[in-house]
Amino acid sequence: MSRPISQQRILNVDLTQRRTWAEKVAQDDLVKYLGGRGIAAKLLYERTRGGVDPLGSDNVMVFATGALTGTNAPSSGRSSVTCKSPATGLYLKVSVGGHVGAELRYAGWDYVVVSGTASGPVYLWIDDEHVEIRDARHLWGRGTRETDDLLKAELGDEAIRTAVIGPAGENRVLFSCIMVTRYNSASRGGVGAVMGSKNLKAIAVRGRGGLSCASGKEYYALAGQMRRKLAADSGSESLYNWGTSGSIPGLDEMGMLAAYNFSRVAIDHSERLSGQYLLDQGYLIGRESCFGCSTACHRYVRTLTDEWGRVRDAGPELETVLSLGAECGITDTEALLVANRLCNDLGMDTISAGHVISWAMETYERGILDKESTDGLDLRFGNAGAQHTLLNRLARREGAFADLLANGTRHASQEVGRDSGTWAIQAKGLEQSAVDTRAAKSYALAFAVNPRGPDHLMTETFAEFGFTQESRDVIREITGDEAYANPRLTEKRADIVRWHEDVYGASEALGFCVFTSTAAFAVNPRNMAQLFSLGMGVPLDEKQLMLGGRRMVTIERCFNVREGARRQDDVLPWRMMNEKVPTGTNAGMLTDQAMLDGLLDQYYALHGWDVATAVPLRSTLARLGLAELCGDVALEG
Amino acid sequence: MEAEILNLTLDVAKCTACRACELACSFAKEGFFSPSLSRIRIMQAHEAGLNVPIVCVNCASAPCIPACPTGAVYRDRTVPVVRIREEECIGCGECIRACPFGAVDRPQCKEVALMCDLCDGNPACAPECIYGALTFDPKRQPAEAKRWATAKVIAARVREK
Repeated sequence: MSRPISQQRILNVDLTQRRTWAEKVAQDDLVKYLGGRGIAAKLLYERTRGGVDPLGSDNVMVFATGALTGTNAPSSGRSSVTCKSPATGLYLKVSVGGHVGAELRYAGWDYVVVSGTASGPVYLWIDDEHVEIRDARHLWGRGTRETDDLLKAELGDEAIRTAVIGPAGENRVLFSCIMVTRYNSASRGGVGAVMGSKNLKAIAVRGRGGLSCASGKEYYALAGQMRRKLAADSGSESLYNWGTSGSIPGLDEMGMLAAYNFSRVAIDHSERLSGQYLLDQGYLIGRESCFGCSTACHRYVRTLTDEWGRVRDAGPELETVLSLGAECGITDTEALLVANRLCNDLGMDTISAGHVISWAMETYERGILDKESTDGLDLRFGNAGAQHTLLNRLARREGAFADLLANGTRHASQEVGRDSGTWAIQAKGLEQSAVDTRAAKSYALAFAVNPRGPDHLMTETFAEFGFTQESRDVIREITGDEAYANPRLTEKRADIVRWHEDVYGASEALGFCVFTSTAAFAVNPRNMAQLFSLGMGVPLDEKQLMLGGRRMVTIERCFNVREGARRQDDVLPWRMMNEKVPTGTNAGMLTDQAMLDGLLDQYYALHGWDVATAVPLRSTLARLGLAELCGDVALEG
Repeated sequence: MEAEILNLTLDVAKCTACRACELACSFAKEGFFSPSLSRIRIMQAHEAGLNVPIVCVNCASAPCIPACPTGAVYRDRTVPVVRIREEECIGCGECIRACPFGAVDRPQCKEVALMCDLCDGNPACAPECIYGALTFDPKRQPAEAKRWATAKVIAARVREK
């Protein structure tokens, strides 16, 4: 009927042997690594060795739920998928909302660890304690929505929650994603290709059990309090009203609206990309929550003219309208709704898909690519029709050009040559999210040291802008002075980044959406630690919680060191380090190599890592209790 | 005059499927979190982009009452709701078959049917719905509020076409 949330269970799935077995997480590990992202980091480190082929059977995928997922803790329904990335050859953690994490916990499982490769297409069916590896040949090649429908029909239960890949994941597109409960995407780093390489089309879950907390009533009351505080936050209101793309007008005003493959910071008619426009023009037909969320930033939208196709589906996020929209020179709302649906249905990350295409568009406009090399596509900026055709071809690697782009911009620009790498918006092999790191120095540092590549989804330092009193308070708490809430300063950036890494990691381990703790601040280290204690029946204070976050970041770093990554890999895309912001309030700004080096020196020293190589020191690992786990890669000192 | 019937008021268009009501209900009734044991359930109608809460509406004719062979299902007079005397319920499922909404159910792990009883007039779920999809106001019952809610849903559907 119900089990304590502190009793964490792993479902191991070996697809090669077609075998599944249960395992328990040690209580000490739960306190040390806090759950979700933390336990996943440990499991991946232990169960892979350096140099494994990301698309081979030795790569391991860890599906992890948050330690508080399935309870009334606000917006705590998020899960993560962790593996080695085929795009970067480095550590990959992706986070995702929706309902599948809670369902998995109610089924009695907190982690699913998938290893090996099935001999043919299969899916995993988890029906409470009953676990089955089933034939998926009839699902192979199908879109994510249809797969979800077919699974529900085949298993005879509409309440099933799924995580599925589309054709892009099957075809090992290096920016393919996993779609979760239809609308939510575990997006980055080619996580879908890893699933595809294992011949695993889907995971379907039905859970009927329950979860209990050690101090139930106190837990329920505190979580409820946090929930109301979060709902009252001004940031939550904006996210509810307009979704994540409600910040388009703000970005425009700040001169930070990435456009035309980051060669500009503004675009005409940018309002057509905004959540405000979706609402005002009648595109918005519903607001959706992830499990247990009090914000509901997710959208449900429709097309009005069906000029580009008919959409009744999930709405586009901010990063989607920037990457597939402004970066490609497209502001046609209807075309974007269709591009978004295409990516979701084919199973592709919109950030990378957008930036692969925006790179191709710039290369085409410079005359380096022509219609012959693009398999007949007129890839000028703004050509939405060509973009849609290319998205379809990318997912199936149809034609030589799509096959080239399906390996990402790093690979494509190396093949095309002629300096095209200087406008490939990637580092470590991952396309940068559409955040301008030239004028925000904590962001620049955080993106450069991000183990999976340059984006805002391993940690985010929104507070450095100091937009609200709450953010200025956070900066004062970290640095002692709220004057440091200024994104143009380089002082104290390492302190700001590391604090956010700790909080972000802890939030994700517990299952919280990071909006709750690093954009709004109603969820904070103090109440997270309290809630963890009440839920698990194990005392944990704020400092220990932050250390848990630190451990994750350190294991993730060690994983990359084991793969051979060093200080020189912690960079930003060439354009972000060599071309100044062209116009607007940030005109002339840049985070060049010399400035980045200064930031990196601060950051590695603060972490207790060797400043020359960025390798963690043995004494640092010992202090964190990680000497046994990661000691193999440490430097003496 | 209409017989007094207490009800939750549902505004389908506002529901985001956060399922806080399911958590509140299962916690209030069972002491732990389990949507399967919640007396209110959120159904996601993906194609329409709508989420629909399903819960006992305490209908006047209440077909579950005559369907029950043991007389366990009855209309309470203190709090005007339809409820189930658990000690008399034999778990036969007749009330489940009789309910036109699917608002009554017997989960696998239970021997008795589960039905919303409005927590004796102080429902745990309604205050947790921060989106306003689920409200409870004994003074404004139930027709007017429901007319508004229904009108909005129909309007949304018509606009959709």
